[in-house]
Amino acid sequence: MPLLQHLCQLLYDSSFGTMIRESNNAFPIIESIHVLSITLLIGTIAVLDLRMLGLVLRPIPVTRVARSVLPLTWSGFTVSFVSGFLLFWAEAAKNYSNPAFRAKLILLGLAGLNPLIFHTTIYRRVHQWESLHISPWRARAAAIASLSLWSGVIIAGRAIAYF
Amino acid sequence: MNLPVARKVIPMKPQFTLLLTLALTLSAVPAYAHHSFAAEFDGTKPVRLVGKITRVEWTNPHTYFYIDVVDTQGKVTNWGVEGASPGALSRRGWKREDLKIGGKVVVEGYRAKNGSNLADGRLVTLPDGRKVYGGSPGDGGPGDDGTDHGSLPGTTQ
Amino acid sequence: MSLHSLFMDLAHSPLGHAMQTSKWDFAIVEMVHLLALAVLGGSVLIVDLRLLGVILKGESARDIGRDLYRLLLGSLLVMVVSGVALLSEEAGKCYYSPAFRCKMALLAAAILFYFTLHRRALIHTGSGKPSLWARFAAVVSLLLWLGVGVAGRAIGLL
Repeated sequence: MPLLQHLCQLLYDSSFGTMIRESNNAFPIIESIHVLSITLLIGTIAVLDLRMLGLVLRPIPVTRVARSVLPLTWSGFTVSFVSGFLLFWAEAAKNYSNPAFRAKLILLGLAGLNPLIFHTTIYRRVHQWESLHISPWRARAAAIASLSLWSGVIIAGRAIAYF
Repeated sequence: MNLPVARKVIPMKPQFTLLLTLALTLSAVPAYAHHSFAAEFDGTKPVRLVGKITRVEWTNPHTYFYIDVVDTQGKVTNWGVEGASPGALSRRGWKREDLKIGGKVVVEGYRAKNGSNLADGRLVTLPDGRKVYGGSPGDGGPGDDGTDHGSLPGTTQ
Repeated sequence: MSLHSLFMDLAHSPLGHAMQTSKWDFAIVEMVHLLALAVLGGSVLIVDLRLLGVILKGESARDIGRDLYRLLLGSLLVMVVSGVALLSEEAGKCYYSPAFRCKMALLAAAILFYFTLHRRALIHTGSGKPSLWARFAAVVSLLLWLGVGVAGRAIGLL
């Protein structure tokens, strides 16, 4: 058995993972928190993305919107990550072979890489373009990538149940 | 700095009403009301399985237990029975301990659409003789009378 | 025509039939419902956190509300349409489900509140600090919408 699969099996077989998986209420509650946290994680970053695309909040500088949105997005990420990790712990062995789960992780990685690139390149010059109603094309590209990748995460996440 | 002039937006309520009406007036063919497992299970293929429990997976999001069914020729087939989550089943009076390995159960349900040996457990007679309901109120399957315990004969209230 | 027969008509409609027989049709509608949920939740959060005076302080609450109004309404519409499709797959179960009834009541309350008292609170606040009343309106809005989400989850879990 490959090492990664073996680790997944260990998590799955652990008493903690088993407890969550066989629980009456813990699993449904954790899953519900995970699903509803998409509003805090993805819904908020979507507003920043839409600002850079010039579709909402145009009179407000991008930096102001970012300063307001990003703490919310990070809170959402924390909640999503913790709840998601607990769900993974409970289902690890099954998730390992699930194509939708693998797709979700890949998209998640890309969704994390995108802002990294964005913040170290075009965003470094943000004071030159923060007040423009429509941001420069590199920022718009990052915004579209963000919206697409996070949508993909949601879609792949929902698809897990179908494989 | 001025905001762009607010565009004219159609009020939501009439739109919703229109859409709902549209959806309802599309009722042409009298299709049989399937139950909510209709994506996976076939409402026209009821099954009644009698067998001994070989394995139990008391897991979220769905529980499963497996039984060895012996037919008239003596051939043994292993069937899977899918149920709701542990929490939902516990509210219907099931406990994990009720499904003892080797215990005899009677399962009434529907077969999986893909023809595999999988059924959803709508009414299960547990090894201790109690009959427990596996459906949801209003899902349209056998025994559905809109309540939590169904109206199949012999169901424990 | 009773409410129950209305639900049954929906279940028997071609939409209901399609939802009940195709696994992936249902899955796609669920995904659309979730995508719209993210957008709806995001807009509600931004508007209400401004109304609470937590973010975008000094910016016009009224203008933010008005600007995000299209986003909020659009995503809400998508949720309602996809919601009707989801309902058509298990109309009978939803009719009897206390979670579904709760969700519909909270949804009606949230929408009503949003178009009346909440809107007035946004206008009153303008670019300044929110009054106690405005902050109360923001909290009520957040709780109502959260309630809709939680009740929606409960439909499938109970």
